[in-house]
Amino acid sequence: MKKCFLLLILIICSCEKDDVCSENAPTTPRLVIEFYDITAPEKTKIVPGLKAFGIDETNEIVEIINETVLNRTILTLPLNVNNTQSKFKLYERYKLEDGVESGNPDIITITYDIEKVYVSRACGYSINFDINTFKISEDSELWMDNYDFTLNNPITNENDVHIKIFH
Amino acid sequence: MKMMSISKYFISLILILVSGIYLQAQEENTQETDSIVVIHQYGLRLGTDLSKLARTFLETDYSGFEINGDYRLTELIFIAGALGSEERTIETDYLNSTATGSYFKGGFDINLYDNWAGMENLIYSGVRFGFSNFNQTLNSYTIYDVNSLTWGPKSSTESEKFSGLTAGWIEVLLGFKAEVLNNLFLGFNVQIKRRIFETEPENFENLYIPGFGRTFDSGVFGVGFGYNISYLIPLYKKAKK
Repeated sequence: MKKCFLLLILIICSCEKDDVCSENAPTTPRLVIEFYDITAPEKTKIVPGLKAFGIDETNEIVEIINETVLNRTILTLPLNVNNTQSKFKLYERYKLEDGVESGNPDIITITYDIEKVYVSRACGYSINFDINTFKISEDSELWMDNYDFTLNNPITNENDVHIKIFH
Repeated sequence: MKMMSISKYFISLILILVSGIYLQAQEENTQETDSIVVIHQYGLRLGTDLSKLARTFLETDYSGFEINGDYRLTELIFIAGALGSEERTIETDYLNSTATGSYFKGGFDINLYDNWAGMENLIYSGVRFGFSNFNQTLNSYTIYDVNSLTWGPKSSTESEKFSGLTAGWIEVLLGFKAEVLNNLFLGFNVQIKRRIFETEPENFENLYIPGFGRTFDSGVFGVGFGYNISYLIPLYKKAKK
């Protein structure tokens, strides 16, 4: 009988690890952009000195966490989950010298619908994005030539490339 | 909240010990001769789960009430059942949700304890089928987004109600009932349960099922316990065969 009670107490006090959100749980995905060569659309092409900034609703520049100047073909951007539109300024050949920025900035605007998706009791909900439109703002010196945003829509994870930009 | 849980188990523990002493006392005192025919009391025992009442008063995120009872069929077998309602709020880092509903449990208990003459204590094992009808409300949530530092996190306090949910389960329990005063019983039991069906809310899940208790990510099993006080309404007496 005593053994029974010990067992019972063990059962009742068993840990509730379900309540802690695991770092491996699928989180709200970021937008993945891959850069391709406009003259050979099958090939990726490095953007020299690529650096991205966010632009908020009041046209203020927003620093993107962990975003640095880098020669690369892939750019990962967090979308604004409190809005259905995100705007970014993407620099080619970005430089910051003595507080003066240089490089060629192009502005992209993405509009989307957001959908909350249940993950688990510990993590709650994440967001999936369904891209409606993609736009490169006109300017006199665009470094981007074309785009394709119909590859992997809606955005459910970061393993896929969601937008191709040709340059 | 943590203090409450600790106090909950502590109270249970004390009550187990107290009830245990009664059982013990019985073993020591009954040194009678066995030449008399043993008479068993038959009747309907009705009671309530004290732990649910205690938690209702002590915990802000819980309220519950249960009426339970059993009816003696034979020397060892009892028909047993319970009717109750529960409301439980579960909060994690990313969401807050309340389940509200009522439940029914029905089944059998078998007394495993061989009483001394004139005693009606039980150490029993039982099975129940449980059924619950409930609602679940998502009160608030914060979107799980590890990259939210750039634009800021998103939260919502717009409540969303999932109605008409049901669940059914099989429950195996083990416990005791000790007669502490004439016809008045104190008892403790633990339950291990397995869900056999449930309606899942769309784009959510049942975090708590009234009568079943909290669910676990690992699967369909659940656990529970009860601390019961009950009164035996005596109906007739029958000699032990």
